Amino acid sequence: MRIGLKYCGGCNPEYDRVALVRHLEVRLQGKAELVLPADRDVDIILTVNGCSIACADVSLFQQMEIRTITSFKDGEDFIKEVESINM
Amino acid sequence: MRMPIMTAEQYEDSLRRLNLVVYMFGERVKDVVDNPIIRPSMNAVARTYELAQRPEHEDIMAATSHITGKKINRFTHIHQSTNDLVKKSKMGRLLGRETGCCFQRCVGMDALNALSIVTFNIDAKYGTGYYKRFLRYLEYVQENDLTCDGAMTDPKGDRRLPPHQQPDPDQFLHVVEERKDGIVVRGAKAHQTGALNSHEIIIMPTISMREEDRDYAISFALPSDSQGIIYIMGRQSCDTRKLEGGSMDQGNIMFGGHEALVVLDNVFVPWDRVFMYKEYDFVGQLVETFASYHRQSYSCKVGVGDVLIGAAQTAAEYNGTERASHIRDKIIEMNQLNETLYCGCIACASEGHKEPSGTYSVNTLLANVHKQNVTRFPYEISRLAQDIAGGLMVTMPSEKDFRSPEAGKWLEKYFKANPDVPTEDRMRILRLIENITLGTAAVGYLTESMHGAGSPQAQRIMISRRVNLQQKQIAAKKLCGIK
Repeated sequence: MRIGLKYCGGCNPEYDRVALVRHLEVRLQGKAELVLPADRDVDIILTVNGCSIACADVSLFQQMEIRTITSFKDGEDFIKEVESINM
Repeated sequence: MRMPIMTAEQYEDSLRRLNLVVYMFGERVKDVVDNPIIRPSMNAVARTYELAQRPEHEDIMAATSHITGKKINRFTHIHQSTNDLVKKSKMGRLLGRETGCCFQRCVGMDALNALSIVTFNIDAKYGTGYYKRFLRYLEYVQENDLTCDGAMTDPKGDRRLPPHQQPDPDQFLHVVEERKDGIVVRGAKAHQTGALNSHEIIIMPTISMREEDRDYAISFALPSDSQGIIYIMGRQSCDTRKLEGGSMDQGNIMFGGHEALVVLDNVFVPWDRVFMYKEYDFVGQLVETFASYHRQSYSCKVGVGDVLIGAAQTAAEYNGTERASHIRDKIIEMNQLNETLYCGCIACASEGHKEPSGTYSVNTLLANVHKQNVTRFPYEISRLAQDIAGGLMVTMPSEKDFRSPEAGKWLEKYFKANPDVPTEDRMRILRLIENITLGTAAVGYLTESMHGAGSPQAQRIMISRRVNLQQKQIAAKKLCGIK
């Protein structure tokens, strides 16, 4: 599974978005790959937002399936979703 | 497609290629980039380049050029929507928090956006070709990812007199010679933030003008190292601490800001760099448009406020006072003030509008209300931070004493508070609060908040002009039955 990673701008984040993405990379190793959102063959777009405003610009990815993360808990939920797909 | 975005390293290299004439402490500065007093300010501008390269910040820091379609640094972008304006406000907070100081690059962005509106409007009235000329210049700035100094404030001489009546005609920058290939100008611009870190200087007039002042009604852009431009560096409180070595007493060990007096001594400007020439009836519009954008730009103080609040909370924890109810209440107060500032810069952006040129402009009333708050709240936030920090912030001996085998042991012993916190960390956080509230960064966080983008009274005049009192009276009279 190839996941296109798109951050918000991070003006006033409520948690460490980059640390969360590193956590996702570790937990999803062998199950999914995080790549640039503009890469080809991306299965899904994952937006990682610093707060619930979730303002990451997804205008270029309107036709794609998008998942939105606004907290560490959302990250854990996303891991479970990917793991369930890969089972 | 080549992306016209420089890295921080490329930016620094580009500054080394400039040949600026800079004076500081009475001497010519030979190596501007590596000068220890100037360099922290260069680091802050470099951060605007670095963050635009990072995936976790590019959504705010980068934009798409409306003239080339290329990805560019937002600081060279012309706002194409209210969303662009909101992102500009958010960028200010982000960079204020990243640097804890003035990062200097907003003023050039505001000059570019103001000129994109006013050059179009001048052409519409007079059939001139300024807008096309401006767009060619803009593309040059975007393609090379340049930092521009937006220079508006003239020394102004005798405040009672308009430019043409000044005993010294150079108190306002003016044209002294008109040639076939351009003009020659003379004058100065004061308080120029980030001037020494800029590739370009964009000159604008400073006050509304009448026909008698037409020689002063000029706007143009030049490379910052053009012949005849002289920079005299402004002092900052505690600035020479940067010469002492060590890493503690500066407070902010990485970043800073700077201002300079910029003298233009008979400087030649080619016609293709001139964006206004004697159209005195558009000077007021240029001043107001630029000022509104620049008053929005004080979103940066929210980011610096974030740093100061974080420092105050940390100091409280290091002092062991963080659970005291009055300390907690003061932290709440600081946050309430800081987020109120944030409300203003987001509101004036969200309520922006499209100008005839297509550029989006902020809501002038709300931008002025926002800036008026900025003239006050950082002072109160600073007062509270100093209250929480305690007097040690200003009575603490130097880092050299702390490192000294003889004196250091006493400082280590008697400045220990929370047993879980190294004494050095306690001293460091107090130095950061000192830096922001009365050291080098106080120039940006306090006095610049007061006078930058216009002193408080300038905003009050704009508020009085923009508020519709009649509609408020109608609303009141209707409710109490007055016909």
